Amino acid sequence: MNQMATLDVLLAILSLVVATFVTRAGMLLAGERLRLSRPVEAALRFAPACALTALVLPEVLGPAGALDLSLGNPRWPAALVAAAFLLWRQSMLGGIAIGMATYWAIRLWLR
Amino acid sequence: MQRPWHDPAWRAEFSRGARDMLPAFPGILAWGLVTGVAMVKTGLSVPLALLMSLLAYAGSAQLAALPLIAAAAPAWVIAVTALATNMRFVIYGAAMRRWLTTYSKRRLSVLGYLSGDFSFVLFMNRVAKEGAFEHRDAWLFGVTLVNWALWQFASIVGIIGGAFIPTSWGLQFAGTLALLPLVLPACRSWAGATGALTAGCVALLGNGWPYKSGLLVGVVAGIIAATAVDSVAAREQVDGHP
Repeated sequence: MNQMATLDVLLAILSLVVATFVTRAGMLLAGERLRLSRPVEAALRFAPACALTALVLPEVLGPAGALDLSLGNPRWPAALVAAAFLLWRQSMLGGIAIGMATYWAIRLWLR
Repeated sequence: MQRPWHDPAWRAEFSRGARDMLPAFPGILAWGLVTGVAMVKTGLSVPLALLMSLLAYAGSAQLAALPLIAAAAPAWVIAVTALATNMRFVIYGAAMRRWLTTYSKRRLSVLGYLSGDFSFVLFMNRVAKEGAFEHRDAWLFGVTLVNWALWQFASIVGIIGGAFIPTSWGLQFAGTLALLPLVLPACRSWAGATGALTAGCVALLGNGWPYKSGLLVGVVAGIIAATAVDSVAAREQVDGHP
């Protein structure tokens, strides 16, 4: 696979750059040309909570695609432990450390 | 025009943003590393992988594009995939724009290009608490530049050391864990919690849908559910019910 045409890859990178810029900066640059109605503005306050859980839940409960609540998927118990810790202490660093420790511990234990 | 960073208040907000982003560093580093490794393991040469990392700066879109690049898919297919994978950023932009209308197009272009999941949620949490605080652009630059630098560092380490880093460590999970503390405060209201749960469940159902569309559909469904719960709650308050 090492013989990928350089030009093709450059084109692919260019499409990635354009797609990233358009989606990320587009709304900010639309300015006056685009007015959002008040109900839409109000609804968007829920966007952070929704976006995050939509990102996190599939990664935790079904990393291989389908829902997997067995211990073969150590992510869900690890995330549960990390969430319990975070309710007690608001420390992002601690949450990552405890979550990863649980994750690796389960994997070692199952081996 | 006076450069904004000559203003001590601007610089103070910038470093506050940088500090607010720092605790996420293990998550960003792990995620960047995984993306870097994935690029070279797909077969990209080191210079091309470096170029992609430095220019594209879009973790999930890069990961989605890699198998297509390996299969020599046409550029427009890659563009469509990247657009679809990045669609959530359009929602982020729509939510952020009312707080950023006063800044120049050039500044918004850079801020937009650099912004991601972390900066969006941190920003929305802060304006929800403090409203339109002074020097929002400075704070956002602080957050996004730290995010960018950490990500690039890790991605470059992954590209160069790709051959020595096994993919079996499950490092990308650290990136997911870094997002967890941001979810919890957003779920304090009934509306927020309902929306989050709906979004998560729909995204889980749509996990295998093409172009990561499950993610986008999940976010939209969650926002609708949250708004519905919120309007019911508001009506009950008006009617004098508990």
